[in-house]
Amino acid sequence: MLGSFAVLRKQSLLGDAISHAALPGIAIAFLITGAKDSNTLLLGALVSGLIGTFWIRSIVKKTHLKSDTALGLILSLFFGFGMLLLTFIQKQPNANQAGLDKYLFGQAATLVESDVWLMAIVTGLCLFVLLLFWKEFKILLFDADYTKTLGFNTKFIDILITSFIVLAIVLGLQTVGVVLMSAMLLAPAAAARQWTNSLSTMVFLAAIFGAFSGVFGTAISASQTNLSTGPVIVLVASVFVFFSFVFSPSRGLLFKQIRFIKNRRDLELHKTLTFMHHIAETHDDISHPHAIKLLNNFQGFTRKTLQKLVKKDYVELQGNMWSLTEIGFETAANLYTKQSTEDE
Amino acid sequence: MNSAQIEIQLIASLVAIACAIPGTFLVLRKMAMISDAISHSILPGIVIGFFITQDLNSPILILFAAFTGIITVVLVEYIQKTGLVKEDTAIGLVFPALFSIGVILIAKNANDVHLDVDAVLLGELAFAPFDRLLISGIDVGPKALWIIGVILLITISLLFAFFKELKISTFDAGLAASLGFSPAIIHYGLMSVASVTTVGAFDAVGAILVVALMITPAATAYLLTTDLKKMLALAITFGVLSAISGYWFAHWLDASIAGSITTMLGLLFLIVYLFAPSKGVIAVMYREKQQRIEVSLLTFLLHLKNHNELEERHVNHLREHINWQKVRAKTVLELALKNNMIMVDNNIVSLTEKGDTFTSKAIDYIITNEDAQIEDMKDDFFLFRG
Repeated sequence: MLGSFAVLRKQSLLGDAISHAALPGIAIAFLITGAKDSNTLLLGALVSGLIGTFWIRSIVKKTHLKSDTALGLILSLFFGFGMLLLTFIQKQPNANQAGLDKYLFGQAATLVESDVWLMAIVTGLCLFVLLLFWKEFKILLFDADYTKTLGFNTKFIDILITSFIVLAIVLGLQTVGVVLMSAMLLAPAAAARQWTNSLSTMVFLAAIFGAFSGVFGTAISASQTNLSTGPVIVLVASVFVFFSFVFSPSRGLLFKQIRFIKNRRDLELHKTLTFMHHIAETHDDISHPHAIKLLNNFQGFTRKTLQKLVKKDYVELQGNMWSLTEIGFETAANLYTKQSTEDE
Repeated sequence: MNSAQIEIQLIASLVAIACAIPGTFLVLRKMAMISDAISHSILPGIVIGFFITQDLNSPILILFAAFTGIITVVLVEYIQKTGLVKEDTAIGLVFPALFSIGVILIAKNANDVHLDVDAVLLGELAFAPFDRLLISGIDVGPKALWIIGVILLITISLLFAFFKELKISTFDAGLAASLGFSPAIIHYGLMSVASVTTVGAFDAVGAILVVALMITPAATAYLLTTDLKKMLALAITFGVLSAISGYWFAHWLDASIAGSITTMLGLLFLIVYLFAPSKGVIAVMYREKQQRIEVSLLTFLLHLKNHNELEERHVNHLREHINWQKVRAKTVLELALKNNMIMVDNNIVSLTEKGDTFTSKAIDYIITNEDAQIEDMKDDFFLFRG
């Protein structure tokens, strides 16, 4: 759901970066409290995720490094630092340490009831804030400068939306793990984008896609032994994306290709007609028959286009000869003038 | 220092060099995240290669992994070309999908083999010296050292052979294409090198360190210089420096070597990020502050120029007129005095001749925006340099 905003803001890989950046937070939270209470760990993850995000921001803003470099930088540095802390923790005499790395790869099965409640609450909160600030989010998304001139506190809105993205990611970490979290954030939104141009529809669709891939993924992974939930969910989401890419009516590849072919056929037809018109023009009688052979060295001509022209009553065929009909001649002439006016 | 320690440091340094070279170009080409994508998506390649060879140490594995890396790049590019989503979204879609396939393949089929996600992703440098390469029974050194050495050799020779082409196509793809170099070949060549390096290095040091070693030294160097050759050299230096210091840091802390090398890289970047002479945060902040003061100064001078009345030029009046805080007004006043642009006489401020010409020139500059007129003023002021 929030992924829609990330995708539209061209921050798609932010999810990836944050999910990695959350690791040192988890480790530090564990180091401080010494307990494996999931709430404190999440808090740590949230804090370090936010630090990572804002550092990325400031790198992009203050230096000439590009956003992808900043993302990769923060991602790898935070994650490496987290690894260092994790291995450091493992050397500590504390029986509680095991299972911290579960956060890395995620285990939906390890979720307990309280976690689910927490997620439900956070999701509700996200929805609420989203509805409350809908107008502001939307306007910031598409025209940040305009928002500023309208007197909105863009910084506040920006921070709010980023915090919620980070929150969503950190929560999701437990379920699908670091690597796959970015896909969870992106895939539904990218799929939804193909079907609509409206933000509200897109967010709604993304939520549906996300929920469906979650349900299907869990169902598939439960039906087979040895299938971890996270990857299956991601694969299902990817299938959704693929499906959307190919079959979406206005942007999809399939329909684009069909439109493309149709356009080319139309063009060929017109070209042939114009060519015929040129030949016919040289005679007084427009329906004077000509040999089909004449057309053969013309590029756009095929037997099919000729047949189509006949079907449209533009051309009459008599054995090996063709002649333009009255309608055909007029259409061709109009076609020509129309083109020349467009050229001007 | 025993031989194992030396070997570890040697491997780490070689990996650092091997990563820094393609990394520099990736950063310059704004494709840094591709390295992250590759490092994740090679997983299915390794798994499939393993199914075919049934041997974790086979070189075919590396080939397969590199091949999947290239597939990733091609897929990302294809999705991007359809124009349906942006490049970063394309990356974000492709690699988790491939990674998932890899994880599922492992879970379904290779449960009983020693091949797990942790090992692939995280790697452990400390064990690298124990994996020796035996040639007809003679120990010639750690295997990782040889693999990464060969990759490094290939990378360096490619770099020297195609330096000019790489340079042109990185900075001006259009020019490169018009000169007859194929940008596609160079692009995919670079990607293959990055992919092979990732694969060769992850075995020894883990995927995350590879990503860190590719991006961070290059980014750090980029903050310090804009010269490609210097940037390469700096990136290599930073890489090696943090590899060795990272090793000792890990030794002292008894923690993951890869993690501590990354941490060292991070520290190095942080220092440069803050203190780099012209592009560091502090330098930028200083410059911004200077520019602010200069803009104020200019406003102040313009105000003086526009008003001949004595009461308009009284110090106290100025303060309330331009609406400045006391401190700021004082800084500006002092700066103007220091440059001999104003005279303060009995609390009445007036422009000197120098200040007058300066102001007219500045107005000219603002109106016409031509550089030539203010060449001589550039030395005194930051404002006109940017």
